Amino acid sequence: MSLLRLTNISRVFGKLVALQNVELEMEEGRLYAVIGPNGAGKTTLFNLISGFFPATSGEIWFDGRQINRVPAADRVALGLVRTFQITEVFPELSVFENVRIGVEAEARCSTRPWPGGALIRQINERVEELLETTGLGAQAGRIVSELAHGDQRVVEVTMALSRRPKLLLLDEPTAGMGQEETAHMVRLIRDLHVRQQQSILFIEHDMDLVFGIADRITVLNYGKVLATGTPRDVAADPLVQAAYLGEAAA
Amino acid sequence: MSRRIYVNGAVWLLLLTAALWLPLIGGYMALASRVLVYALAAMGLNLLLGFTGCMSFGEAAYFGLGGYGTGLFLTHLTHSTVLAVVAGTIVGGLAAFLFGPLVMRRRGIYFAMITVAIGQIFYFIAERWNSFTGGEDGLAGFSRQPLHLGFATVPLDAVAFYYFVLFFFAIGAGVIALLLHSPLGHTFIAIRENRRRAQFLGIHVERYVWASFAIAGVIAGLAGALNALQNNFISPINLYWVESGNLVIMAVLGGMRSFWGPLVGAIIFVGIQDYVSSYFPNNWETFIGGLFIVAVIFFPNGILGIVRWRMKAA
Amino acid sequence: MELLLFDGFNGLIQGAFYALMALGLSLIISLNSVINFAHGGFMVVGAYLAYTLAPYIGFWGALLAGPILAGFIGIIVERTLVRHMYGRPDPIYSLLLTFGFALIIEDVVRTIWGAQGVPFEIPAALGSPVSTTYFFLTGYRLFVIAAIAVATIALFAFLRLSRFGIRIRAGILDLETVSTLGVNVYLLRSVNFAIGTLLAGFAGVLAAGILQLAPTMGDDVIMATFVAVVVGGIGSLLGSVLGGLLIGLAAGVTTAYYPAASDVVIYIIMAVVLIVRPRGLLGQEGLFE
Repeated sequence: MSLLRLTNISRVFGKLVALQNVELEMEEGRLYAVIGPNGAGKTTLFNLISGFFPATSGEIWFDGRQINRVPAADRVALGLVRTFQITEVFPELSVFENVRIGVEAEARCSTRPWPGGALIRQINERVEELLETTGLGAQAGRIVSELAHGDQRVVEVTMALSRRPKLLLLDEPTAGMGQEETAHMVRLIRDLHVRQQQSILFIEHDMDLVFGIADRITVLNYGKVLATGTPRDVAADPLVQAAYLGEAAA
Repeated sequence: MSRRIYVNGAVWLLLLTAALWLPLIGGYMALASRVLVYALAAMGLNLLLGFTGCMSFGEAAYFGLGGYGTGLFLTHLTHSTVLAVVAGTIVGGLAAFLFGPLVMRRRGIYFAMITVAIGQIFYFIAERWNSFTGGEDGLAGFSRQPLHLGFATVPLDAVAFYYFVLFFFAIGAGVIALLLHSPLGHTFIAIRENRRRAQFLGIHVERYVWASFAIAGVIAGLAGALNALQNNFISPINLYWVESGNLVIMAVLGGMRSFWGPLVGAIIFVGIQDYVSSYFPNNWETFIGGLFIVAVIFFPNGILGIVRWRMKAA
Repeated sequence: MELLLFDGFNGLIQGAFYALMALGLSLIISLNSVINFAHGGFMVVGAYLAYTLAPYIGFWGALLAGPILAGFIGIIVERTLVRHMYGRPDPIYSLLLTFGFALIIEDVVRTIWGAQGVPFEIPAALGSPVSTTYFFLTGYRLFVIAAIAVATIALFAFLRLSRFGIRIRAGILDLETVSTLGVNVYLLRSVNFAIGTLLAGFAGVLAAGILQLAPTMGDDVIMATFVAVVVGGIGSLLGSVLGGLLIGLAAGVTTAYYPAASDVVIYIIMAVVLIVRPRGLLGQEGLFE
């Protein structure tokens, strides 16, 4: 059974057709990339999957359920957690506090006004464990807005992980990053995928990065799927070369 | 961490010993009670304003309702002052709980306009329902009754009433403090910081805004109940939007991001009001209005915000 | 029936005032991102200035001068105080600022003109009833409705046809883009604020001919104006007009049947609108929700 399946998805804004009859299917444990030039509809696709706004037509299936009408916050509980292209964190809180919000939500105790000591300990341990995973342990006490851009993005990924996603959606995880930061993020993504078998669907515009780590790639152009397949197949696809690689080369 | 213990210790010590030092600096106990009453209401409001990031401008409604609840309870049902306080608290909290769903989906300016408009509903009801609320003239004819403690009966004179208020202030402040260090409080702060991120971490933002609104209403109701007892009187003015503005400015003036900010703001506001209204009885609104403007332009982070900034710089 | 007509007509007039006030408030909210709590204050100032000037320049002169002075004061306030608020992401500060200013206006007006209400003379020609059966249809009341209608149409024409008006509308949609196109957004905001307060002043002078002038006359009007904007939909100017008319009429009709509830009914309408159609009658989806 596939983890995520989009059937015939379209999204229309007024007169603009942002996505048209998009099909996408992803198995568990994959590292799957969506690429395409600016305005191709990549982020729109993420917004539909994560419940930011509804699809105009078509169906979204996740983990055996049709989730078209499931509100965004409930999709997180189902295991669908996303990051944003423009970093969304809790800027005035520390790294630790940022991640703790997610851990507490995952422990279903966000509504607890007076938690017991055991619960607090459990939560703190889980936060530290997550910070170790993503290499933020040393920064735990720092205010997020004072961190480097790359580290802020890692904080956002760590928060997403705190909800133990079945599918992690990363919207251009390396956007705005320098070389070193990008390398760190790529290593993190690959580690999550290889060591923890984390299923990841990510949007990226950096071609080399995508071809280096993704199992499968879907290419979007003008809201339509141009090609889907292994990196090798996609790179060889004449349509893709014309529409995307040709443009990048030019 | 240790600094926080010192600050809290100092605040509670000063509040507990107010009867000893306040007269020395020219204050009087009724003034101190008034400060605590407004500080409590502003602290409740600040849970919403400073810690959940929701700009409520109608908090006077729940403050006033608490007062009417207590006043009517004492007039018609009981002679127990404590029970009357509990009743007022429940009335204020219940109203906020019931109206929460109307406001919980709004943000920013919209939240402010709707909370203030809802507050006006209660104002007009209190003003028009003469037979029950005393109408425009307000509700008088009740007074705080002596406390029966089992072993003794304590008349609530100015000093005893201050400690009576301080007792409830401590409960309210304690509840807020515990809350802010709990997962629920963490979630409120997360919503203030970034609604979208909170939502996409699986947090149902509206439900938490509702919870925060209701809790602020409970605290405002408690403070309003104490206010009614303080004056042995309650009038529609306590529900009016100007009163809501006063509570907001106290929180802003002291520092919205600080736990004790609203207390500092209440001390300044009530102090200035008391001073100015005795020397310029006809024009104190200009002073208060000027205070608003100066505070907003020059001290947007409040007095405690400046103190914190200075300490960081040093 | 006659009572209903009487109260309904009063409601229409009230609604027209709310509409005019809401229009100005809405303009300021949309472009300046400020909830102008002092909007009722500007109305009062316009009215009192007209009252003071009328003996020298006559009713018609005062009808023009009062609003223009209110607009002028609006520009000064915007340039000296409100502009400090533009960079602040949290709208609470602009709210408190104008709130403080509203308190000052009320106090100053009371100090200058006294707390007691004062009557405002209208031309005798407008004072008498048009018809003996419908005694409440005085010339002045009909004039007020016509004047508000003309002002509203003039404003919409200004926003649609003039260069400056089109820039204001563009600024409401996307101020950043307008600024990168080289439009002076400082001027745009100042003039917009002034137009808003001018409309408030105009409402004030017109109201002065019907009610007595009192320093507190802006207090209740500002709340009704908020309600009109919320009911009509924040961000929609036409919605503000509709919202104002609707709540005014509703308050009038309620007076005929159950006077005690006439103040509350507009808030009940607001609550119902919020439940049934949260964005307001003509509001855009998603905006501020």
